[in-house]
Amino acid sequence: MKRSSLIALLLLLPWLITFIVFWLFPLLMSLIAGFTDYSLLSRSSTEWIGWNNYRELFVDEDFLSAVKNTFIFVFGSVPVTTVLALLMALLVNRRLPGRGLFRAGFFLPSITSMVVIALIFTNLYQRGGYVAMLAAMVGFTPPEHGFLYSNSTALYSIMAMDIWMSVGYYMLIFLAGLKSIPAELYEAARIQGASSMRQLFSITLPLLRPVALFIVVINSIKSFQIFVEIFVMTKGKFDTASMVYFIYDVGVTTAFRFGYASAAAYVLFLIVAIFSTVQFLLLRKRRPIW
Amino acid sequence: MVASRIRTTLRYFGLFSILIVMVFPLLWMFRVSVMHSGAAVGFRDLLFGGVTFVNFLDLFHQANMGRYLFNSIVVAIVVTDANVVFCFMVAYVLARYRMLIGKLLFVTVIVILMIPAHILIVPLYVLMIKTGMYDTYWALMLPWLVNPIGIFLIKQYLESIPPDMEEAARIDGASELTILFRIVMPLCKPALAVLAIQVFFTNWNLFLFPYILTSSESLRTLPVALAHFQGHQAIDWQHLMAGSAVAVIPVLIVFAFLQRQIVSGITAGAIKQ
Repeated sequence: MKRSSLIALLLLLPWLITFIVFWLFPLLMSLIAGFTDYSLLSRSSTEWIGWNNYRELFVDEDFLSAVKNTFIFVFGSVPVTTVLALLMALLVNRRLPGRGLFRAGFFLPSITSMVVIALIFTNLYQRGGYVAMLAAMVGFTPPEHGFLYSNSTALYSIMAMDIWMSVGYYMLIFLAGLKSIPAELYEAARIQGASSMRQLFSITLPLLRPVALFIVVINSIKSFQIFVEIFVMTKGKFDTASMVYFIYDVGVTTAFRFGYASAAAYVLFLIVAIFSTVQFLLLRKRRPIW
Repeated sequence: MVASRIRTTLRYFGLFSILIVMVFPLLWMFRVSVMHSGAAVGFRDLLFGGVTFVNFLDLFHQANMGRYLFNSIVVAIVVTDANVVFCFMVAYVLARYRMLIGKLLFVTVIVILMIPAHILIVPLYVLMIKTGMYDTYWALMLPWLVNPIGIFLIKQYLESIPPDMEEAARIDGASELTILFRIVMPLCKPALAVLAIQVFFTNWNLFLFPYILTSSESLRTLPVALAHFQGHQAIDWQHLMAGSAVAVIPVLIVFAFLQRQIVSGITAGAIKQ
């Protein structure tokens, strides 16, 4: 082996080892486990059961409800987050005194620990809590035991919190996109007498399209994996269990059905893979935004 | 001019309204954390209740807050340092060595980026148990030592630096390792700083894996400890919010000093959360 390739190998080694031990091997192992009845609790030896786990998943009420909740979460929160983030970016994207303060303040929630955020909102959402008080003020009767203890409001309350938390992060990405639009375009438009509304719809929004698409896809991928807030706020009760919560619950809490949970994980993987592929197809011909 | 003044006023009104909504929950947390224990967290108490720091003292004296804080700091620092060194090494090979497998490795990095980490819940748990790493510091650190986003970030940066300096040093007879760590690494400082901050924050806030891969009380990081606090008896909001504040304050301090790098890290590394 040449000396230089030896050095290259040495440099790659830490990554290769952790990658193989903590990513590749576990992933392959769980792919295989998904076709077995592998479990911590079963006395008998592990057996190959083919597609049985997958078949069981698609008639498992808990799993189907987790899929439903996850989709409600993703398709409910992602569009709202994107639109709000865009509006906030447009508001902040002016040379105004104090602009840095607003940007920092909007962004603050997204670097805070999710556990902490979830705890704060558990307090805000509780019976007789702050949000209930606000709701009563505008004439809305809050659920009797608090927002997180009702099938009809729990998931939506968590969604609202998530939107609140992540909107500043996506605002920053929109701001980067806004910055990359050449100023000459606006100048030319102004010379030709285009109103600021017209500039928004003819220049800003069309040129932000790739950024918006990018944001939608990464936010979807992230949202499909929602777990922590559900774990902290409702423990999956009140119709809030997500797919990752299901995997966690079946896999490592009570049942320890490793095979079954692995199969569920691969269903999630497949869904996210489809989204990622869509991302590549839609963004392939565009300049990356960084 | 009147129209433009109205518009500016409206803009500020909008900005301030949003700011209040965004910052309010965090202020709420700080307010509750300094309230007298046992007081109902009602609106009147929030405004007129006194201020006390005894909740924080309780956490460190009666609960094991010091230990949790220590765990969080140690794990985050080790993981961050490892990422800075290892991601740099991999990125250097990918950017400078024209090897056939270089391309293949880069594709691998991209593919990992797209795989949702949460599907590792079960296999990592099993792996840690089988290897005896379950419920040790290893389980908290080892899986996160080299972050593919970091490799990606540093590689992009390295490719923007011309290799002139390295070649000059090579002609002068410097060894590969000297070139790597004495010459190239200092040049990458801005990108490495961005990476370090991102990894630090991510790790500081990590919950799910530390939670499922450990069980001892003495190994809890702050987020894990907070989740356990809440899981117990009737919720004691004053102490819970004080604990939350302990987890948030370091982040706020780092954010205050390094806002620029953090923002550029978000926009540069936005490829994956």
